[in-house]
Amino acid sequence: MTSSYYGRDEEVVQRLRPEPMTAEEEAAQAGIEDIDFDIFRHKMHMIALEGKETTMKLGASTAMRWGDVAFGIFTAQGDLAICATGIYHHAVLGQIPIKYIVKHWRDEPSVGVRDGDAFFYNDPYYGGVHAADMGLAIPVFAGNRLICFVGAAVHTGECGGTEPGGTVQNAKSKYYEGLQMPPIKVGEKYALREDLLNMFAAMNRDPRTMILDLKARLAAARIVQRRILALVNEKGADFVIGALRRVLKVTGEAARQKVAALNDGVYRQPRFLDMVGSEPGLTRINLTVIKKGDRLTLDLTGSSPMLHDKPLNSFFQGLIGLAMVYFCGWFFHDLPANNGLLEAVDWKFPDDSLVNAKGEVSTSLAPVVQSYFAHAMFLCGARMVYSNDPKRAVAAWFSGFAIPIYAGINQAGEPVADITPEINATGAGGRSDMDGVDGAGAFFATVSDCSDVEATEADRPVVYLFRNFFNGSYGHGKYRGGAGAGVGLMVHHVPWLAMGSMGAGAHFPSTLGLFGGNAVPPTFVQTVDGSNMKALMRANDSPIARSLAEVYSAMNPEQGDRKFNDIDMVVRPRLNGDTSYISVSGGGGYGDPLEREPAAVLRDLKFGRTTAWAAQNIYHVVYDPDSLRLDEAATIARRQDVRQRRIARGRPYEEFMADWRKLTPPKDILKYYGSYPDPEAGFAPQALPKAVNM
Amino acid sequence: MKIRITEYLDIDLAAETWCCHGCGQKFGNARDNYKKGLLIAERPLEEVHQPLVTGEQFSFKPDPDYCRLIELYCPNCGALIDNEYLPPGHPLTHDIELDIDALKRKHGVC
Repeated sequence: MTSSYYGRDEEVVQRLRPEPMTAEEEAAQAGIEDIDFDIFRHKMHMIALEGKETTMKLGASTAMRWGDVAFGIFTAQGDLAICATGIYHHAVLGQIPIKYIVKHWRDEPSVGVRDGDAFFYNDPYYGGVHAADMGLAIPVFAGNRLICFVGAAVHTGECGGTEPGGTVQNAKSKYYEGLQMPPIKVGEKYALREDLLNMFAAMNRDPRTMILDLKARLAAARIVQRRILALVNEKGADFVIGALRRVLKVTGEAARQKVAALNDGVYRQPRFLDMVGSEPGLTRINLTVIKKGDRLTLDLTGSSPMLHDKPLNSFFQGLIGLAMVYFCGWFFHDLPANNGLLEAVDWKFPDDSLVNAKGEVSTSLAPVVQSYFAHAMFLCGARMVYSNDPKRAVAAWFSGFAIPIYAGINQAGEPVADITPEINATGAGGRSDMDGVDGAGAFFATVSDCSDVEATEADRPVVYLFRNFFNGSYGHGKYRGGAGAGVGLMVHHVPWLAMGSMGAGAHFPSTLGLFGGNAVPPTFVQTVDGSNMKALMRANDSPIARSLAEVYSAMNPEQGDRKFNDIDMVVRPRLNGDTSYISVSGGGGYGDPLEREPAAVLRDLKFGRTTAWAAQNIYHVVYDPDSLRLDEAATIARRQDVRQRRIARGRPYEEFMADWRKLTPPKDILKYYGSYPDPEAGFAPQALPKAVNM
Repeated sequence: MKIRITEYLDIDLAAETWCCHGCGQKFGNARDNYKKGLLIAERPLEEVHQPLVTGEQFSFKPDPDYCRLIELYCPNCGALIDNEYLPPGHPLTHDIELDIDALKRKHGVC
């Protein structure tokens, strides 16, 4: 290697914003008419969409098949210019591996970047999230001139760690996590290297999926390459190079204008995580958003320390990627999704913090850290934008994952290791003018699907006992959060299957409300080993539970060894007929529940979206339980009484705080928190090993 | 001149005070934390999050060792201005700290 050292490149991961404009890029922009530029942007977006759709159609993993796909068109320097995705963070973070390729391999004689090459990467240091997220990109040449890169990044559900399914809850270092590949050339002269594919297959519990996903990314990239070269033939290489760069330029300018319109100020939101992997424990992610002029600064000072032998850490760039989920999907929703948006954003991450992982620590559960951070972005963002544009003030979508994980041999005798797709059916947060959408998607992958259960059952050795909206899955409010999914799964067809789940929020709600709206209830996993479910199903008249609400009713006839597990449940063998129940939950509530229209409460009751308990105890609606007819006068009186009771029980700030300050959580759950309540007080950052120059 | 800041909070720019959007009750200096002008109560978690399981570690109700629910009310009309889910004893969040001078300039209030 002549251009670098054998170690992490700490410089390239800093380059999330657009690269300085090259003379070639600047010259190429001259003479591009506005109308041609608009047509170009639209056309390139459609080309990228074709790339995304092709990746989905050809892929095998759950995430790829159901839309957690980011397809990007990057400049020759590696900046993301065009993005077709419902999963913005991969697209934004996907530029780092491209910039790595440009920096290290383009002029490296033993590697090089040539027409027909293909590069693979899944090192989370460059991808930003965790090792299960894998990408592939190719250079697009016109003759000898590098025009751009194109590629897809997708979560492939297995990467050969010490636990299956892409995350390792017992990881003590990065070496537990399996395959972690910095950008590597896997194809040249339009052919994949079969020896390298063979190596990937050998390092993975689900080699079929691994290889199919890799080939799907490449096939989609080749189609996009063909489309771009057709455009080059029509408009010229200068036009395409210049217009790609101009997309970034106009995006950055528009982003700064949009930020400038907001009220200057400081917006804060601490978030509390309740597990550190396989063990419960409290930690804090502390977000402060400083808005001044046309800049936003994201300051994570005050977050808990890095966990040296636990997987609950994230690289800082992963959080910036998740900030882009909020920016692209909500705040900058009307601007192109590319890293030009970051021209309006600065950031500050404390050293030796779980939001700024260094050295060899595990980041296997980085998606959880990043999701909680993104949730804080939702809340700070809502407070920031309400004054200018109330409709963009949205309570957070479900942020606790609650993803079932499995691994084993399926009914066709093939190895499988992946996750189920219900994460793409969580509820949206309530908003200033409407309830959150039921089963909306994942906040980080809004343009995604959760498949039909038969498609999942076709090659996974499970039966869905039910999968439908759970009326206890969302936060109440003036506008309630959208309902998430209650899921019942049973091992079927095979003697056993390793099963677990990944997520957070069993003790402390993962998803908070907005402006007085309630948080999403905690979620956990109920397992029944040695269940009588198959016998109940054989008996035609058995009233088996058809929803999560019925699972928890006194009428549930299922018997067996019932356990209530943390949502972050390490995989363990489950036998044929064993069952699992989980709430992949809904969105946070918006506003005071007492302000919810009584008719909306009764409509929810009629359609099973809420419970009589909530109607009476949260919304304080008075109605006839048989006819669901509203008693309007009694409801008004009851709600007024509730307001008076609030005034009676409320205490002035200083009086309340005098008692409140005396409280503290039990010491055993503060083991990983740092000093309480400010994790950084009294905490001395530790010296960490640097990358070694070779 | 009142500026809407959240669903339930206004700022009277001339007087530099936080106000209840519903009833106009003043909550104190707009340069300070509006929560200092509200009534505050800790709600029993089971009143807001119905437990569906009894006698087990998990029940759909937050674990009080980890999490408490604080509600903040308008002292005049009883509106729920906001809430916070916090670990026991954790300071309340100064979640909105506006640059009042910049806000006044923006709206032409001297």
